[in-house]
Amino acid sequence: MKLSAHYSKASIIITISVLVAGGIIYFFTINKLGRTQLDRDLAEEFEEVVNYVNLNGKLPNQVEFDEDQTVFIKTKDTNLPLRFFDTVYNNPKEKKPEPGRAVAGLIMLKGEHYKVIITESREGTEYLIQLIGIITLILTVCLLLVLLITNRYILNGLWKPFYDTLNKLKAFNISDSQGFSANQNKVDEFNELNEVVQTMSKRIKNDYRHLKQFTENASHEMMTPLAVITSKLDTLIQDESLKPEQLDQINDIYSAAGKLSRLNQSLLLLLKIENNLVDDSELLSLDELINQKVRQFHELIVDKNLQVNGFLDNKQITASKYLVDILLNNLFSNAIRHNYNYGSLMITLTNDKLIFQNTGPEKPLDVDNLFGRFQKGQKSEGTGLGLTIVKNICNLYHWDIDYSFEKGMHIFEIRF
Amino acid sequence: MKLLIIEDEKGLRDNITVYFNEDGNICESCDCLACAIDKLSNYDYDCILLDIGLHDGEGFAVLDFLKEQQKNETVLIISARNSLDDKLKGLNLGADDYLTKPFHLAELKARVVAIYRRKAFNTNSKLVFNEVSIDLLGRTVEVNNTPVILTRKEYDMLLYFIANKGKVISKNAIAEHLWGDEMDMHDNFDFIYTHVKNLRRKLLDAKSKDYLKSVYGIGYKFMAE
Repeated sequence: MKLSAHYSKASIIITISVLVAGGIIYFFTINKLGRTQLDRDLAEEFEEVVNYVNLNGKLPNQVEFDEDQTVFIKTKDTNLPLRFFDTVYNNPKEKKPEPGRAVAGLIMLKGEHYKVIITESREGTEYLIQLIGIITLILTVCLLLVLLITNRYILNGLWKPFYDTLNKLKAFNISDSQGFSANQNKVDEFNELNEVVQTMSKRIKNDYRHLKQFTENASHEMMTPLAVITSKLDTLIQDESLKPEQLDQINDIYSAAGKLSRLNQSLLLLLKIENNLVDDSELLSLDELINQKVRQFHELIVDKNLQVNGFLDNKQITASKYLVDILLNNLFSNAIRHNYNYGSLMITLTNDKLIFQNTGPEKPLDVDNLFGRFQKGQKSEGTGLGLTIVKNICNLYHWDIDYSFEKGMHIFEIRF
Repeated sequence: MKLLIIEDEKGLRDNITVYFNEDGNICESCDCLACAIDKLSNYDYDCILLDIGLHDGEGFAVLDFLKEQQKNETVLIISARNSLDDKLKGLNLGADDYLTKPFHLAELKARVVAIYRRKAFNTNSKLVFNEVSIDLLGRTVEVNNTPVILTRKEYDMLLYFIANKGKVISKNAIAEHLWGDEMDMHDNFDFIYTHVKNLRRKLLDAKSKDYLKSVYGIGYKFMAE
């Protein structure tokens, strides 16, 4: 929910509850006041009746007291205190019952006791209460309307610079050359926010640049000695006097140097992916790339006598060709390397997923650590970074990758 | 071919010099930007091997210098930086190829020969080695005027061997050249044997001399004689 919506909600709830509470208090106060007034009137009437009886020595005519209805009942009670109570008032003109208020008391005439009940209509008070209720309601509605309009236009206007900043932050790309810039506005807090964001983006950009430099420097520093080792070996094997044992040793050094170089390259690649340094995205036709890879790996597939089946739909993706190439390389080389002779490899590509299924060892791989760094099978001569790289490339493009083992097939599934 | 090797790592520089020096090439070398510019302003070379990361500046300056002086040397960049930006920058500035460290000397030689051939013999697309004649444009091979049908990999391999004739080439180097080092099939180079065997048989069938010699456990040698 937006800030203005939150604010509107809170202010509306408060307004409504204050107005409702006010209405209730009004209602009771007016009710009380009306009742007190009525009771005072009734007491006066009663007084008048008593005076009349005392003066005239007879009961008054019932209609003599204007609108009020007076009833005299002979009673044997000798002690009846003055009592006020709510009752029904039958309006003689309109012939319908109305809420009423009555007083009951005792008078004595010629040695006999009479109970006097005087009833008066409460209609007037009720009407007043209704009027007040309606006014309160109209007031509530007006206030709500005013609040809503204020919130919508004034609040949104006030927060506009904030949303501008937010949109710029969303569009902020660390590898863009231009930094974060914001317009000056009249709210101090937003200016401060912009300043902080600006400083932060500058610092991030700086760190990012340093990291990039470090990545490249690290690469340079390690690759050059490796290049020396490789070239020395290339020169060494030209010597025709080398014995087979020595050549075996050299072979091992070749392997180790090659592995070190690949390891180094893989680590640098991981760094690049994790820091989002590869940003040459383009539209790629994945099915074509897979077909290309099948051709590229043809010799290895033939060497192991693998049966390769592809079910490839047309699928376009937007990604770096370099990374997709590495992704496919790693999936292919895993599926081939960990396969057995005369095994099979099945590649399925649909609009929403890419599946590699291959035969291999009869045991499922350790799912929890599969994509971790330096996790590899005991017999594997790889760097142990292949699947980590695959996973990271998938993460970069927000694809999901899962491994499962079914009916002797190792299955890697990527969902786009 | 007259070469200038600009590389600040002495071990590497020496090995490249030794590897290239046989086969009738003349190699000169230097280890800094300043001396490279100095040499280039005084002498002409056929080919320059240029390391980008020199201690006194980026090797790109050499490319700028060549452009300014309108010199026509072919340039191969050898860089420790496997970065697309650098590669594009280098190629845009007039370099002919870009090789990332570490590399095999055989690969370096093959690349240098290829770019030099491209530039020097623009009109002549025939490469002749004794009785083997290769049409570089049509990618066809003839032995004693008999066409030999080679697969793409066998053809690439033949060119690679001829560029490195007389040298022992390790299986690693052949695999990397033909399949790229990203293929990650390092633990098993046995499949290369099949391809070399096929190439050798096809050449022999066409009555060429037996040039391909296996060197125990390590690789192959294409005999120069």
